[in-house]
Amino acid sequence: MTTRAEFLARIRTQMGRTPGLFGAEPSVRPARPRERFEVLRRELAERWREDLARFQHELERVNGVFHRVSAVAAVPDAVARIAAERSARRVVAWHPDALGLDVASPLAAAGLEASAAPATEVDAAERGRRRALAADADLGVTGVDLAIAETGTLVVVSGAGRPRSASLLPPCHVAIFDRDALVTSLLQAGLALEAWHDGVPPEDRGAAINFITGPSRTADIELTLTRGVHGPREVHAVFVEQGLAPRRG
Amino acid sequence: MSETAPVTPLRERAGQALQDTFLQEALRIATTKFIGLRREAFDDFPEGEALRDRARAIKEATLQHLDQHVERLVDNVERRGGHVHYATTADEARRLVLDIARRTGARVAVKSKSMATEEIHLNDALEAAGVTPVETDLGEYIIQLAHERPSHIIAPAIHKTKGQVAELFARELGRPTEPDPEVLTRIARAELREKFLVADLGISGANFGVADTGTIVLVTNEGNGRMVTSLPRVHVAVMGVEKVIPSMTDLAVFLAILAKSATGQKLSVYTSLVNGPRRGGELEGPEEFHLVLLDNGRIGQLAGPLREALSCLRCGACLNVCPVYRQIGGHAYGYTYPGPIGILLTAMLNGPGSVTELAHASSLCGACADACPVRIDIPRMLIELRRDVAERGLPPWSERLVFGAFGGLLRRPALYRLAARIGRVLQRPFVRGGTVRRLPLAFGDWTRTRDLPPIAARTFQERWTQLAREEHR
Repeated sequence: MTTRAEFLARIRTQMGRTPGLFGAEPSVRPARPRERFEVLRRELAERWREDLARFQHELERVNGVFHRVSAVAAVPDAVARIAAERSARRVVAWHPDALGLDVASPLAAAGLEASAAPATEVDAAERGRRRALAADADLGVTGVDLAIAETGTLVVVSGAGRPRSASLLPPCHVAIFDRDALVTSLLQAGLALEAWHDGVPPEDRGAAINFITGPSRTADIELTLTRGVHGPREVHAVFVEQGLAPRRG
Repeated sequence: MSETAPVTPLRERAGQALQDTFLQEALRIATTKFIGLRREAFDDFPEGEALRDRARAIKEATLQHLDQHVERLVDNVERRGGHVHYATTADEARRLVLDIARRTGARVAVKSKSMATEEIHLNDALEAAGVTPVETDLGEYIIQLAHERPSHIIAPAIHKTKGQVAELFARELGRPTEPDPEVLTRIARAELREKFLVADLGISGANFGVADTGTIVLVTNEGNGRMVTSLPRVHVAVMGVEKVIPSMTDLAVFLAILAKSATGQKLSVYTSLVNGPRRGGELEGPEEFHLVLLDNGRIGQLAGPLREALSCLRCGACLNVCPVYRQIGGHAYGYTYPGPIGILLTAMLNGPGSVTELAHASSLCGACADACPVRIDIPRMLIELRRDVAERGLPPWSERLVFGAFGGLLRRPALYRLAARIGRVLQRPFVRGGTVRRLPLAFGDWTRTRDLPPIAARTFQERWTQLAREEHR
């Protein structure tokens, strides 16, 4: 079997035989990405209305559904309405600390089978049980770490209390966000990625970051566009005007 | 040399494709649609042209220090608890994946679409070892059921009708149904959902590997990539070594142009960044993460004539615009990678001897280079491959004779003009409906697979001379 040393030696030998095709440099990385991203966030705070309008337009172009509520208190009702319209009964949600509000309790009180993900490590048996819950759920509720206006994209970072399955296994995904999540462009999202990977990540951050741009789709049979092939058929983004509770981390 | 050469000659394979009326129609519709969507996406995105230049420069810059970037990628993957393996050949890559499957006792492996695992013919090896590979991209699933190979890099089953898919599902899954894409997709969802939940091994490729962070990036529309990297106990990513990029800032540049080039989407539905195995507190994610770095002919081209092809993003844009691909489709090429870039990749993987015929399956029109998001000069490398074939004395004597004579004429203008006048008379019996379809003798080889425009009633030179005369009047 080839070793690391042999593999790298082969690369170096070949590299030594050519200066390359033309002079070229990779992108210049920001020196202090966390600070740079904070500066950007403050700049973006001035123009969130434009970004939100663009986000809504682009989300709808990719067949996502946009909702707007005034305050956190109105979120559970908005989710309950989406559930009722689809006769959805089983709901899985992120942990309240990760989501910025408790959505599972009011939904359960309203008679739905709703559960929130645990915020700490659980054993394999419990993970299996939670996975089965998500696989059977009709609706998954998550937070949003970035909302990219240019593309109508929701970015979600996995972690403790932030299960990946909530935005993947149920046929309907409902994402809750506020103006803090908005960025204008994909290139700005690149800066966010730099910031998130700079230094030690917060305790509750997991190993997966997903950019979600509309519902799951395929055109593999005669180029006929079909939604919900593996992931959700529906993606809803609920914007909270007055903002969510500040999230941990 | 990893892939078996096709048994029938290219001419025969192309001939079959040309007689397949459904294939002809499917290719026309699909490629035309992709071309339109791509054009609209870039028309809407004025910064796109500058970003293409940027992306091209990032790829070249990465290759110039490939050793450092690969080392950083490896260190960071390992820092996050992942394992890295090195495969010089396709055979070695297969054995590495099989070892992981065996050690973890895997019975069912779910796969997200990956050209790298197609290229090493991993599925056959898994099956032989008692592991059931399940392709989960809908198109790949269809062709796996049909025991075929992908005919397009991003739309592997474009050669199949919905009727054929319905028959296939009835026969292979025991689920007779109407030929409705919506219904067929629902059936596939149900079948594959079960597999996702029972599989012990997830196998993916990688669109990018970010050196700075040790992140593997997968781009999909269906969500199968997320399933494969989140649900099974073990995840193996097989990645061509040239897929490494330096930073997240670079990644954003590529994401901005990749989907636009492939399907005309601003972004594919899912871009998944995988940072190794499950972390404490997470409900999902593999307990083990493995990265197999694949050479298979790539490293040898760092200083080779095909170096530029190492920048390829596998978007498929060059296939859609290629007048040859649009006529014959992917299967006729006979290897894993079809289309203009596919010829170069085939030569890279299997040696230049594998493309003695394929090097000529191009009109050198340059549409591929225009469509390429990183502006790979595909025609230049095709010409080099042709020269390589010619220098090894492989073309038939008739071709050498005709082109030798043609070359002689081009160097002697007076003789060229005379030949044009004589040719105009001699061609008469062979012109049918405005084209020359068949020439006799040594010329016949050329017209067997091509139509030739006849020598014009008045040649360009004659018209030019006359124009010049009128100017002076």
